[in-house]
Amino acid sequence: MYAALLSNRYLTSRVIPLIAVGAVALCVALVIIVVSVMSGFLDMLKASGRTLIGDVIVSSGIGGIPHYDEWLADLRALPEVEEATPVIDTLGLLRMPYPSGPSKEIAPVQVWAIEPDSFARVTAYGEKVWWRPPADDAAREAMLPDDPRLRMDGSILRDGLTLTQGATGKPGIVMGMHVSVGNARQSDGSYRPRFGWFMPGEEVTLTVVPVSESGTISEPRDATFPVVNEVFSGVYDVDKSRVFIPLAQAQQLLRLDAAPLYDTTAETDAEGNLPLLGTTPARVTKVLIRAKTGVDALAARDAVEASWDAFVAKAARRSDRLGRPPERVSILTWEQQLRDLIGPVEKEREMMRILFSIIYIVCAGLILSIFWSIVIEKTRDIGILRSVGASRFGILWIFLRYGLAIGVVGSLAGVGIAWVVVDNINLIHEAIGRDAPRAAWITTCALSVLSVVMALRSLVWRGRLLPGLLWTIATVTLGIVTLALLGHRGTLIWDPSVYYFSRIPSQVDWFNAAITVGGGIVFSVIGAAIPAAKAADVDPVEALRYG
Amino acid sequence: MAEATSHPGESFGDAGRASRPPSAASAPPILAALDVHRTYRFGQVEVPVLRGASIEIGRGEWVAILGQSGSGKSTLMHLLGGLDRPDAGRGTIEFDGRSVNLGAGRSLDRYRNRDVGFVFQFYHLLPELSVLENACLPGLVGGWFGHARAAAARRRAGELLEQAGLSHRLRHRPAELSGGERQRVAIARALVNGPRVLLADEPTGNLDATTGASILDLIAAQHAEGLTVAMVTHDASVAARAQRVVHLRDGQVVQD
Repeated sequence: MYAALLSNRYLTSRVIPLIAVGAVALCVALVIIVVSVMSGFLDMLKASGRTLIGDVIVSSGIGGIPHYDEWLADLRALPEVEEATPVIDTLGLLRMPYPSGPSKEIAPVQVWAIEPDSFARVTAYGEKVWWRPPADDAAREAMLPDDPRLRMDGSILRDGLTLTQGATGKPGIVMGMHVSVGNARQSDGSYRPRFGWFMPGEEVTLTVVPVSESGTISEPRDATFPVVNEVFSGVYDVDKSRVFIPLAQAQQLLRLDAAPLYDTTAETDAEGNLPLLGTTPARVTKVLIRAKTGVDALAARDAVEASWDAFVAKAARRSDRLGRPPERVSILTWEQQLRDLIGPVEKEREMMRILFSIIYIVCAGLILSIFWSIVIEKTRDIGILRSVGASRFGILWIFLRYGLAIGVVGSLAGVGIAWVVVDNINLIHEAIGRDAPRAAWITTCALSVLSVVMALRSLVWRGRLLPGLLWTIATVTLGIVTLALLGHRGTLIWDPSVYYFSRIPSQVDWFNAAITVGGGIVFSVIGAAIPAAKAADVDPVEALRYG
Repeated sequence: MAEATSHPGESFGDAGRASRPPSAASAPPILAALDVHRTYRFGQVEVPVLRGASIEIGRGEWVAILGQSGSGKSTLMHLLGGLDRPDAGRGTIEFDGRSVNLGAGRSLDRYRNRDVGFVFQFYHLLPELSVLENACLPGLVGGWFGHARAAAARRRAGELLEQAGLSHRLRHRPAELSGGERQRVAIARALVNGPRVLLADEPTGNLDATTGASILDLIAAQHAEGLTVAMVTHDASVAARAQRVVHLRDGQVVQD
């Protein structure tokens, strides 16, 4: 009981414990802010990465998956599967319409050939097609006046969703937002045409290289497509390199379409034709699957694996047709597929957490040194307490409780600071991004002048060194802040044109915040434990005599 | 007064008891030091402070222990109050017929909390606590869930402070009190748990004569109600207020 009385009184009647509380609060706030922003960034990266691949991804070798329509029907019948869509994934070269003149720029691209309807049901493709008129008045209000989308009608969106140029009926191409140099990202996350190139409406030539099942490379083939829209996934690697074309055109270009197969070892007939063996089926290299709502991606993957095995077994029994599915395909969940993308960011977050957790040791060291000086200062009090019957454990508990109180108060204050900062991080960022308001530097300048007066008053008139020194430090600090505010012309720390997220994640990671608070309390108690043990070991006679 | 006897070299405690010194009181003593030795070590140097000191204090007695500076008065007081222990196997402190320095630390803590009360020359009040909180501090020590006990201690401390003329100072901090007032608070603190023995170490040593006399009056009033008092002083006029004066010289009781 006396421990509570004394630790509370020590906490509230002195300045040094408040410094310790402040140190703990800042340490905890710093860790929570950093981990929350990193976690938010990771969540956004995962969400964006998942945007265009669905829940389960099946990838085959170069030979592709024959009779994929049959398997898609099997998949769609599974209770775990909402929808499945075929994709051809290959590399290509895109001849851009720029610059002016005969020599054009060539961009290496990753080509995804898709069936737009089913692809949009599996992925968020429909939401990611960028150029479209505002959906409603609220969206219109949110756009800046020079945003080209304000002047668009629904045809550009329709063309993007169907991969067809409505006006001509030609198959079109949708490019990632940063495949061309024509899009400049703005600070609000929107885009403006750059260098006079607005890509929708332009024509590009795509060159691909057909590769046979045995790996034989054929002559490159090309086709010209009108750009019908552009897509923004939020993941730079995707937006920089991916283009979408209709599946049928890609199958023709890559010789993955259905075709008659002739017996080249036989003699030609009277008309010079080889005997027809049959028709090789059309193929795709990927199948993307969306799981039903509430079905875990891993459970969906297991169901897809079982379905694949059944499909392969069924195909093996069919000797009446050409085309056998490969024995092995890669079947991954979206998280496994994005491991290369997510893994480094997760590691980075953990590294940041570990690095910033070192701050706990600083925190514990600070509390240890503050408590050490308090114990030395309070040696006589310890002797008095022992003289009225306090046990060594009681003395130990006073200081442990004192450390616990500092840890709890400091950590909770730290959560409060972190919550305010994270919740307003975009406002803070925007404020930093603007010129300093005139009132701010006038205020700091006035406070600086006041500090000079107080410093002179303390040093010259009163002859007091300590207040004089403190006021001098305040003068210098406020002077530097004033100069910094005067010279501040707006610094955009989180530049959306670099990070590809228009807003900084602003959700506190409460699970990690709880762990951080626990860490702050534990290390505060650890910091207090050593001086507390020293206090418990104080000889009461020595303490009363010399304390 | 009987000549005090010392028993150098004789063992005490369970193995052997020192023979009892002559006591002024015929009844068994409430507090006794039997042939206690206490040596302090300062680096390589050993300084014997008590060299077989023996004293018996009868129930309800007021004994003054008089001696020069360095004679071992405060050390003897610390041993009698259980703040310190005699050198291993060299002397015993007995309270009410039982040894207090052979038990575990916890029983010694309890002895200091319940059976004796200390008053020091420099008051030794806790500066962060108010007068009332300082006075009831022993009542708060020694229990985890003693709200009723705390309330009782607060009530008893209030009564004692009222008797000491400090009822208007209950919420004040020690820094706001005079020396005499601080010592009154210290006396109230020493008595709050109703100890049977008051141990006062130079209680007037830091006060002027008038204030010192008023403090002795306060102690005398408590003694009149049956409290046993052991008081250390180097001032013969202060010692004269006691019923019995014991002289301590070079770590031994030389005159009783």
